[in-house]
Amino acid sequence: MTGAASSWRLLRTWAVSPELAMGLDEVLLDQVGSPPTLRFYTWEPDTLSLGYFQRFAEVPATAQATRVVRRLTGGGAIHHAGELTFSIAADAAHPLYRGPVAPSYERVHAVVIDALGRHGVSAALRRADAVTSDVAGTGMCFHASTPLDIVWDEAKGVGSAQRRRRGRVLHHGSIKLAASHLETGVARAPQVSPADLADTLLAQMTEQWHGRFDEDDPTADELARAQVLGAATCAEAFLRRR
Amino acid sequence: MRPDDRKYMDSHEWAKLDGDTVLVGITDFAVQELSHGNIDDLVYCDLPELGRMIEQGETFGEIESVKAVADLNAPVGGEIVEVNAAIEDHLEILATDPWKQGWMVRIKPTAKSLEHLLDAEAYEQIVTEAQGA
Repeated sequence: MTGAASSWRLLRTWAVSPELAMGLDEVLLDQVGSPPTLRFYTWEPDTLSLGYFQRFAEVPATAQATRVVRRLTGGGAIHHAGELTFSIAADAAHPLYRGPVAPSYERVHAVVIDALGRHGVSAALRRADAVTSDVAGTGMCFHASTPLDIVWDEAKGVGSAQRRRRGRVLHHGSIKLAASHLETGVARAPQVSPADLADTLLAQMTEQWHGRFDEDDPTADELARAQVLGAATCAEAFLRRR
Repeated sequence: MRPDDRKYMDSHEWAKLDGDTVLVGITDFAVQELSHGNIDDLVYCDLPELGRMIEQGETFGEIESVKAVADLNAPVGGEIVEVNAAIEDHLEILATDPWKQGWMVRIKPTAKSLEHLLDAEAYEQIVTEAQGA
């Protein structure tokens, strides 16, 4: 990607609570003017996240979910189990995000497709192709595909969404590695662990974006703020706001 | 060139003086950024309740496309005195006429000046730079 060379902050936060999963992403979204940040994470326990505008009642899987949270990003619900989740927070002026939304997806998805390919997964953008994973009435992200989504085995395997707020952009990605009883019929890549796929993605981003990724940990202040913001995204009033 | 009878924010909202109030909407570029030319990609718009007091720069609503949620930012502070509810059910208005029918809220401003905002020429430069990515 032309002009993307930059210094990145890299966070790996494995097995985080739903509060910390969402809260830390919101902290990173609010850091306008800070370096772009790439974060990899997994959830503990498994959690169902609603899209920002989704109606609670339109997602039947909420009744079976261990925990439920509402994301800041839009789109459908996701069951975060057996997956690698990543987020990319950067200023809207960053070359990754400058311009329309669609090309920014293509830039991110190009490295995800290449990384999956390194693990033997023949992933590609769906474009105009039909997939078998589209199912009406579940409200699940993986059951509703768009031309920009990443698919393999004729099914959607990566869920993506963005939030654009006050000059900063947060891109969420969920890469399915294992089957979920709340998201049947979707693609998955069981041959790779979340940590190994994160390493491969990092290598692809370093190579293709000419970036330098500096390993870091969330600060105590960021964690404290994330807990407060994250608790709000799990609060009953916010979950049932629609 | 975009209309020069109003002022702009670099986050792509416009503000137009209308008597004692200010009409606020989003630009054609904002719509294009979110929908990429496919108006069906715009799926939801959440506008504020009447009577709400907002500060300059504060988020007054949100708009969702198939792939992104974006905040709507207030060019001026004041009271929301009218909301264009038609938009919430007819998002296509934003694509066909963002400058007139596509206004979103009417604000009774605490200070009537729009001088802190960008004029059409300066906004055009912002758009040109964004398109040059």
